[in-house]
Amino acid sequence: MVATELLPSSPYQFHFWTATDATIGIGAIVRVDDGAGRIVHAVIVDGRAYSDLPTPLHEVVAAEGNPAAQPPPTRRVEIRLWTAAVLRQEPPEPVQPVPLATVHLATESDVEIALRMDAYVRAEPSTAIPIGIYSAGGMRAPVYLDADFLLGPESAHLNINGVSGLATKTSAVLFLLSSIFAHFPRSKGQIAAVCFNVKGPDLTFLDQPAALTAADREMYAALGIPAEPFKAVRFYAPFKADGVNLNTLRSHPDLAGSVEPLVWGLREVLDFAEVLLNRDDIDAKADAFLDFLGDRVVGKTFRDEWGGQHRVESFAGLERLFRAIFDGLESAGGRDMWRTHHVATIRKVRNRLLNISTRCKGLVTDDDTAHDLPFGAFDDRALYVIDVAGVDQLGQDLVFTRVVSKLREHLERRDLGVDHVVVFVDELNKYAPADGPETYVRRMLLDISERGRYLGLVLFGAQQFRSQVHRRVVGNASTTIYGRMDSDELAMPGYQTISAATKSKLATLPKGELMVRHPHFAHPIFLKFPRPAALAGRQGIERFPPAPDVPFGEAVARQLRVLDRRIAASGVQDLIDGHREVDVRSALLATRRARPRDPLAFFAARLRPSIPRRTADGGDQSAVQPLKPVEDPYAP
Amino acid sequence: MAAGSPHRRAGQPITDPFATAWLVEDDPLRAIQVGGPLRSPPGTGFADGIQRWMVEGHFGLAPVVRAYVAAAVLTRRDGSLAMAAEEHEEFIVVPGERLTTEQRDALDRVGLPVYESDTSARVHPLVDQYAAARIVETRRETAERKAVRRFVDAEPTSWLVMDGSVGHLTGGPGAERVIGLVKSHETQYLEGADLLTALTLREGCRSSVFERSRAGGTPVYSWYLRLWPWTERDLLHGLTRLERWADRTTLEEATLVSRWMLGERAPISTPDASWDRLIYPIHHIETYLRARMGGWN
Repeated sequence: MVATELLPSSPYQFHFWTATDATIGIGAIVRVDDGAGRIVHAVIVDGRAYSDLPTPLHEVVAAEGNPAAQPPPTRRVEIRLWTAAVLRQEPPEPVQPVPLATVHLATESDVEIALRMDAYVRAEPSTAIPIGIYSAGGMRAPVYLDADFLLGPESAHLNINGVSGLATKTSAVLFLLSSIFAHFPRSKGQIAAVCFNVKGPDLTFLDQPAALTAADREMYAALGIPAEPFKAVRFYAPFKADGVNLNTLRSHPDLAGSVEPLVWGLREVLDFAEVLLNRDDIDAKADAFLDFLGDRVVGKTFRDEWGGQHRVESFAGLERLFRAIFDGLESAGGRDMWRTHHVATIRKVRNRLLNISTRCKGLVTDDDTAHDLPFGAFDDRALYVIDVAGVDQLGQDLVFTRVVSKLREHLERRDLGVDHVVVFVDELNKYAPADGPETYVRRMLLDISERGRYLGLVLFGAQQFRSQVHRRVVGNASTTIYGRMDSDELAMPGYQTISAATKSKLATLPKGELMVRHPHFAHPIFLKFPRPAALAGRQGIERFPPAPDVPFGEAVARQLRVLDRRIAASGVQDLIDGHREVDVRSALLATRRARPRDPLAFFAARLRPSIPRRTADGGDQSAVQPLKPVEDPYAP
Repeated sequence: MAAGSPHRRAGQPITDPFATAWLVEDDPLRAIQVGGPLRSPPGTGFADGIQRWMVEGHFGLAPVVRAYVAAAVLTRRDGSLAMAAEEHEEFIVVPGERLTTEQRDALDRVGLPVYESDTSARVHPLVDQYAAARIVETRRETAERKAVRRFVDAEPTSWLVMDGSVGHLTGGPGAERVIGLVKSHETQYLEGADLLTALTLREGCRSSVFERSRAGGTPVYSWYLRLWPWTERDLLHGLTRLERWADRTTLEEATLVSRWMLGERAPISTPDASWDRLIYPIHHIETYLRARMGGWN
């Protein structure tokens, strides 16, 4: 160690030198033992090298102005001077400057003490969750997070950031989820994870094994994590606009059967209508009318003033109610108020609501059939992947908001099926931006990040630029992971506590390495982690190329074959011939939801009569009709 | 020879300004262009020493001087300098004749060697210090000789460049591999046209070899070499004097050895004030020894 008046040791920092060929660098953990009972562990945060050259000009003189001159016979004496930030001092009191003593590279047990992991690695039951391998100077040591601080109740949430493609954000989260599933103590309850696949095939092959190197397997073994893909993965995806082909890249015939449809009707959507409506739509009047519909109409028997009785279960049913209201008001002499709601407000809400099923076609259905996540029956250590990559932003917002809200509701009631849920959200900057208008999604994310740990609802968020995410969302994440970072991002004020050398390392971090900040670690630590044992999206697409969309009948047959592989396309086609597609879709969803012993028979029984019901004017009752039909001047 | 000699201060008269020399290579002395710089052979050693002293106290008027001397030989391999031999000694110097038995016993209890300096009939504090400094200088030379001898004996094929005169080594085994690099020009051996030629050498030139006088010792061959141009500077800027044993091979190898020394111009040994004559490895030894003498800095 060296300490001078200009470069003194302090309780939080000290300096030492090494040989120029020493195999340590930024992020290495060291140990100082004064031999009198005081032991200090620290991490290297800065390094400098210089020679005895007073000014560069002297080098010019020595080379006689010729930069190509032969190198001098003697290399100037050079110093490697390191700055280390204190991680832990023992004894902790009194807090004193680091004693002048010899500095040693940390051993495996030193790493455990330096990062205060001894408190939870050796606890009974242990709450240690492996996060990666620390390595320096040829020494390797596993590093653990504390489940109580990663998943609650002490603190919770994880935020990971880094540039796209190089920061391995998704890989890190998947590896950590594997680790959590392998190590989360049973005594702490059951745990599941919900991942939103928001781009490409990223998360759609997590049940398939990935190719691992020997080094990867060695790391898995060192961390005590099985090097295998997720055992229990449930995939969900909405339909495409045709209502039968699933909107996912996991459509290879070998895998398609494992994707469950995600389809919602009016009841599922109404509570979250605010997500789908822009701020101008949600004035107090519209909000009041939406509440009225939710409280008094949907799912209940409702009598209007004109003798009509309504049971609104679907968008189609809602449309019938609106039509009855407008007809009733018109027949009453053009009244403009209905039950304290102005007709203009009703028209506005009607237009916006009924537009949802159009805008989110495939996800939101006109009828009352829905196929949802198994809220109430979540399995322990299961991963639920919701593929919304093919859905537009509005639909993604709806899915995200509703799923997370339902998770919160069930966790509050303790009836989700598990006690803890990790929700992984990529592109967090899109859902909880640092600036921009207040949105329902952002409010919800703020709520989770501030209250989630009490409920067991844990947010794992990822984004390229942490500075673009709401401060309270990232601020509440007790654990932060940094992959390779953009240097412009590192120049933001939020990173001012990180040394310039550490920033430099972050800006050039290779794949498979990360820097982790955790409540027990006094300073961030650099780690390596193995690539996920589950197949990455890009490789998955190569191994399981997506199947092209198939015609309606064949798509229905494919869906039914998930339940019974013997079902032939021709038989299904015979069954659905003459039926409206909406009825076929409804029967299909009902069959998939019920999972009957004889799917084909069940499906056939649920098919409605082949003659479509029609209103008095001949229109299709299920379809949303224009409010004021005009005569078609070109009609024959 | 080395840094830290305490008895010479600017403005004081030079003790031995002139000495005798005999031309052995050319007559009259001439300037010889040696050619470009060359790398000295691998494993070449470099030797230097340091000395420090201070008055710790007095017994009456008698000063008690505490001193430290050290010498080292560093060898260069692959461009890096590494320790090859090292000597150091910490001791006390007193005017012994003026001390009582009790005072001597007290000094013995300190546990350091005690050397006695010369005493004059009348007491003069500065003369006493000068006498002590002479003892310190002698001890430093002894340390240097020991370190150099160890290196020369241990490395039978390596050359050695030492700071200062080689006079005390010219008779022993391995003397043919020792080069003395003299930076000080307090004593002038030449005169007249020969002196003019020597002191106005151009950069990269050496003088003819001459034999310098050496009181009571074996003869030494010497020649001047200009490392850096002196034009518009001091006459002595960049001027060194090299020494080797008095042998025919010295004449044959003077140009080669000069080119080795030219090769040592880089790196520059700044910020040392005598960087124009002090080669970097010697400068580094001084840095090394100063760093190792701890509280004596």
